[in-house]
Amino acid sequence: MEPGKPLTEPVLLILMSLAAQPRHGYALIKDIETLSNNRVRLSTGTLYGALRRLLEDLWIERFEQEDTSRDKQAYRLTPEGRRQLQLELERLKQLTRVGIARLRMNEA
Amino acid sequence: MTLAYRLLLWLYPYDHQVCFGEEMQSVFEQAAQEHRGRGRTAYLRFLVAEYGGLIVGLATAWTVKIAGRGYVHDQRLIRTAALAPRPHEVQEAQERLTANLNGLLHAISHHQFVKARIYAAEEQKAREDLRLLRERYNITESGDVV
Repeated sequence: MEPGKPLTEPVLLILMSLAAQPRHGYALIKDIETLSNNRVRLSTGTLYGALRRLLEDLWIERFEQEDTSRDKQAYRLTPEGRRQLQLELERLKQLTRVGIARLRMNEA
Repeated sequence: MTLAYRLLLWLYPYDHQVCFGEEMQSVFEQAAQEHRGRGRTAYLRFLVAEYGGLIVGLATAWTVKIAGRGYVHDQRLIRTAALAPRPHEVQEAQERLTANLNGLLHAISHHQFVKARIYAAEEQKAREDLRLLRERYNITESGDVV
């Protein structure tokens, strides 16, 4: 992920999903479906490609849980991941504000 | 369906298989079970999306690997258990297998089928050597020392 560049939708949704609590792969897919009103369903190929990049950039980390099996590792946001998510949401908020202002200008 | 999924997964870079292979397959199986219950069309749509995503992911993983931003140097990605020290010959066998697999994929992508056949035979031999070494040192496929 290049700093300052807008995040892709899968990455943004993964970060949003993990912002609330750590999740496993399947729980992430289900939560992202809910977050996006069933508009986005990530395939495992897309999900794990994005998770790999996020792990490399240290925006998320694997969360070892003693009571879970090896094929059900959980992921959680790192402080850096949380910061990047906040930055992206700020960027989107700013964009929305400008967009709405332009619409109003046209209506007035 | 799981077999086809596993076959595609097998084409991913070795490190990706070690880091995420089991997990991806497990998630796929859970999702497949859920979609099977939603009817034939929903299941077919799910399969198309899954295999499509897997193929795109495969291309991306190899691009990343070839571009040098791979997984091997990044130990944070490998599961803690897989970081346990392994005998030198196991590591060598693993590297030989990866090299042959890379050669095989490169040959296929360049339509060099005679070369691909040679790599395929070497890759099979390297895989068998690795299996025997793992057996000897009691190491599981994911790298754990039992």
